[in-house]
Amino acid sequence: MAEASQLATSLRRGTLEFCVLAMVETEDRYGNELVRRLGEEPGVAVGEGTIYPLLSRLRRSGWLESKWVESPSGPPRRYYGLTPGGRSALDHFRTEWVQFRQTVDRLVGTGEAA
Amino acid sequence: MKTRENDVVAEYLREVDQRLAGLPVLQRRELLNDLAAHIAAEQAERNLASEGEIIEVLERLGSPEVVAAAAHEENGTRFTPPPPAANRNKLWLIVGIVAAVVLVLVTCGFLAFAGADSSIEGPAQPAVTAPETLSPS
Repeated sequence: MAEASQLATSLRRGTLEFCVLAMVETEDRYGNELVRRLGEEPGVAVGEGTIYPLLSRLRRSGWLESKWVESPSGPPRRYYGLTPGGRSALDHFRTEWVQFRQTVDRLVGTGEAA
Repeated sequence: MKTRENDVVAEYLREVDQRLAGLPVLQRRELLNDLAAHIAAEQAERNLASEGEIIEVLERLGSPEVVAAAAHEENGTRFTPPPPAANRNKLWLIVGIVAAVVLVLVTCGFLAFAGADSSIEGPAQPAVTAPETLSPS
């Protein structure tokens, strides 16, 4: 069990941030929305709260930008959007990921042919 | 009623904050603000009223340990819980040792002073009294 969650953690590291970038690719989303959507996916986030430090880092590295917007129902929401730098990082990841996935599939025998 | 739910949230945020030691202060504040905003938004949007429902929101966020660990991992820092307590203990140990040394020195000085005193007065008195007490026996 510990090993299974260790594997999930390792796989998540380095990929989750691009899932987040992709989620705000076409429209800005606020924290709760991002966190909720990720939480619905199996094996992505351990705790919803762990997404906020990730959003912070992506913002500090210039891939995301954020702004506080008044909400009609409740407190102000912090919306996140993709910066041009974030967009090119996402494009780069997509290229790399496809190659990487194909290689792993071939080596591990998880490809469609297998 | 309202205060009890706020207590649960405040306690949660305090426990996260305690584990953020070592993180730059602005990041620390940002995370606490984000978590507080998340909880407040959940409360407002889903009309959460009971303490149980708030606790459920906190459980989905993850334990303070898990959330703080994620913050440290993103920042490349490590949670160092013992330092404040250990430093305080060490400080008290040093204070204790210094106090003990001072006490010993003062005691020695006092004894030496008292000894010097008695060495001046000491011989004079026995010299006077000794013959008186000794002579009858």
